[in-house]
Amino acid sequence: MTKTSSAKKGATTLLLIAFLMGTAAAFMALKGATDRVAREKLPGSSIIYIPSGKFLKYATFGYRAVAADAIYLWAIQYYSTPTIDDRFDHLDHIFAIINELDPRYQDPYEVGALIAVEEARNPAAAFSILDRGATNNPDQWVYPFNAGHVALMTLKDYPLAEKYFDQCMKIPGAPEFVERLRANAIFKKGDLQTSWETWLDIYKKAPDERTKKIASNHLYNVKATIDAAAVEDAAAKYRERFGRLPADLETLRRTGFLREVPKDMDGEDYLYDPATGTVKTVTSPWRR
Amino acid sequence: MADAIRIDNLQKKFRLGFIPKTRQILKGITFSVREGEIFGYLGPNGAGKTTTIKCLLDLVRPDAGTIEIFGRSHFSPRSRQTLGFLPENPYFYDYLTATEFLAFTADLFGLDRVEKEERIARLLKLVGLERAAGLPLRKFSRGMLQRAGLAQALINEPKLVILDEPLGGMDPLGRKEIRDIIVRFKDEGKTVFFTSHILQDIEMICDRVAIIVGGRIVKEGTLRDLVSERVLFTEVTVSGLSPDAFRDLGESISAQGDRVLLKVYDESKVDEVLELVHSHKGRLVSLSPRTETLEDIFVETVTRT
Amino acid sequence: MKIGAIAGITFKEAKRDRVLYLLFFFAALGIGGARALAILTVGDRVKIIKDVGLASISLFGVLMAILIGTGLVYKEIDKKTIFTLLSKPLHRAEFILGKFLGLVLTLFVMTLFMSLIFLAIVYAHTLKVEGALLVAVGYIFLELVLVTAVAILFSSFSTPILSSLFALAFYLIGHLSWGLELILKKMAPGTGKSLVRFLYTVLPDLENFNFRTEVVHGLPIPPGIYLSSFLYGVCYTAFILGLAVLVFRRRDFI
Repeated sequence: MTKTSSAKKGATTLLLIAFLMGTAAAFMALKGATDRVAREKLPGSSIIYIPSGKFLKYATFGYRAVAADAIYLWAIQYYSTPTIDDRFDHLDHIFAIINELDPRYQDPYEVGALIAVEEARNPAAAFSILDRGATNNPDQWVYPFNAGHVALMTLKDYPLAEKYFDQCMKIPGAPEFVERLRANAIFKKGDLQTSWETWLDIYKKAPDERTKKIASNHLYNVKATIDAAAVEDAAAKYRERFGRLPADLETLRRTGFLREVPKDMDGEDYLYDPATGTVKTVTSPWRR
Repeated sequence: MADAIRIDNLQKKFRLGFIPKTRQILKGITFSVREGEIFGYLGPNGAGKTTTIKCLLDLVRPDAGTIEIFGRSHFSPRSRQTLGFLPENPYFYDYLTATEFLAFTADLFGLDRVEKEERIARLLKLVGLERAAGLPLRKFSRGMLQRAGLAQALINEPKLVILDEPLGGMDPLGRKEIRDIIVRFKDEGKTVFFTSHILQDIEMICDRVAIIVGGRIVKEGTLRDLVSERVLFTEVTVSGLSPDAFRDLGESISAQGDRVLLKVYDESKVDEVLELVHSHKGRLVSLSPRTETLEDIFVETVTRT
Repeated sequence: MKIGAIAGITFKEAKRDRVLYLLFFFAALGIGGARALAILTVGDRVKIIKDVGLASISLFGVLMAILIGTGLVYKEIDKKTIFTLLSKPLHRAEFILGKFLGLVLTLFVMTLFMSLIFLAIVYAHTLKVEGALLVAVGYIFLELVLVTAVAILFSSFSTPILSSLFALAFYLIGHLSWGLELILKKMAPGTGKSLVRFLYTVLPDLENFNFRTEVVHGLPIPPGIYLSSFLYGVCYTAFILGLAVLVFRRRDFI
């Protein structure tokens, strides 16, 4: 009697274990089945409702840095998943949250800006991220530098680039070539007078021969550009008067359109092309 | 008659504490309770009485041994269908009223509504809680809780009633009531199994007892078998004589006024005492032979082990 | 019948728990507070009300299930009421199931009340009774049922504080486990990947019960998923309850 009863007890336990295995197998199979049903995803719906970083600051109860790390890690995965077509829609917002949670965390600024420029083709977002980086880390020259670089190379917005390089230069520790980049931006902007002065300043302060040489080349280039502009201007006026371009620069001087025939910074003559009315230097400014 | 409870070689170890320390609580308990008798399960605190009951009710799983209740293994919940249990210090859902609580226990036995209401009314009357029926249990005194506990143990009209220290924490009047109820169970043909460490109450009502000390049954049997008829000593109270007169006959325990209490160990000397009283014109106040009691056995076994 | 009696007593007990009303109060505050939040937004206010409302029902429902569920079995043992109970002709499985159903009933009533408040507030803004929202609430309830089973499982062998932590961990894991899918995609095949795949299959995926986004945006839900996630919830709950019974059957009540 008792024996059968404890045998029954053992049987119940076995039955229970069989039940556990059965239900486990069932839920595992159902998990797969549920995964296979493609659920409609609202494009980007997973991230629309990320609240602002200011709110999250409170919601993370002091674990801000960890939260920032987590979101950053997630963002890296998210932005490297090409199947999400609209993943760049909230780029600035997401990185704003990370930046807000941990303003001294440097990587997200740089990587965020990089994603914005290279992947999202959205320089505005890059500037926004880098501006935050600069505001939150006034001692870091790298953010205005990167912003200037984007403005100069990608956007070709030279006044903006000048502004960023200017900002960058004022930060202690900024490399001296930033000054030259700024001068270059000014030159590209078309403000030749300021460009000349800037390069002259660099030339005078140059600590080594190499820098001196670079500055001198740029000065040469600026002067050549100014001279070329003056020649072209005069040639145009000449054509207005006589209906054709002058044969040479001497003609222009003689007729009073040029005060004198310009020479380049090394005292060499410019090469005049009578067919187009333009001049160029004999040697390239960068091969002097 | 069949056995209501049969316990065979019951063993239980407990591992307690953060660094587990094994304590063997039951070291092979064997005894049986016959149907229709009142069985006292006696022992000092910590002897393993409550653990035995918990094994019996399948609250604790024994390491070895078998238990049968009316021939059915105690592992089967059906073995508890005809069983009523009153725990020591009963704890119940204290937010329920006595009536609600009894209704809940009735539901656990699957009683139908009419039967349920009839039994609740009868039981509340039996244990004397009619007037407290609508009161939540948290307002009950200890004694009242004990009564409510008794009522819930009887809701299924059990054939076997198990009571863990039913008389603990009761006032003398309450003890008498419970004692009467236990005796009434026997009259109704119920089997009663109860534990106690207080002995006076038990001697009068138990048919058989088992004494457990340190996880072992040290004595088991009918009271008559355990307690001999032998007279240990005779107490004699006389007046009108000085204690010095009995110096050789017995031990004088106390003298108050002209009364003397004597303890006489030798039965033949009792007559000598009586003659002495007669011859000295004294007066015999009382004479009572003291036979062996359960308490004597209890004290003897406990101190021996 | 016996299970019903225990469920009834559990419901009665849970109903008395102040924590329940505190959480209900917070949930109502959350649902109502959604209105205030909606004022701050530009654009679709109703969307925010629905989002915050459903989130409140889900979050506070889970807290109810955990905070009450983890105490249920433990309290019986701690207060020794279980002695009287198990000395009746009662399987321990019946006890566990009764406790479970009692709390499920409590949560059902609470979810019902929370949904009524929620629907009323949505109605006040749209003048429409949106039955679709009830689909989301229904699956939130299914999630609560699973969490209740988990709370009772832990409660059958651990203290309420530890059980709460365990159950909370279960809930968090359940909502994060889909992340393993991302890791799986990037892992090279091998033992590690098999292990992660196993974890991914075994760990609870509570996102299966999350239809909040779809419902709020009125997106179509593929009909197959209703059944499969419903069955998933039922099977997982049955598994957890079976585990609880297995653990509970081996216990000694000292």
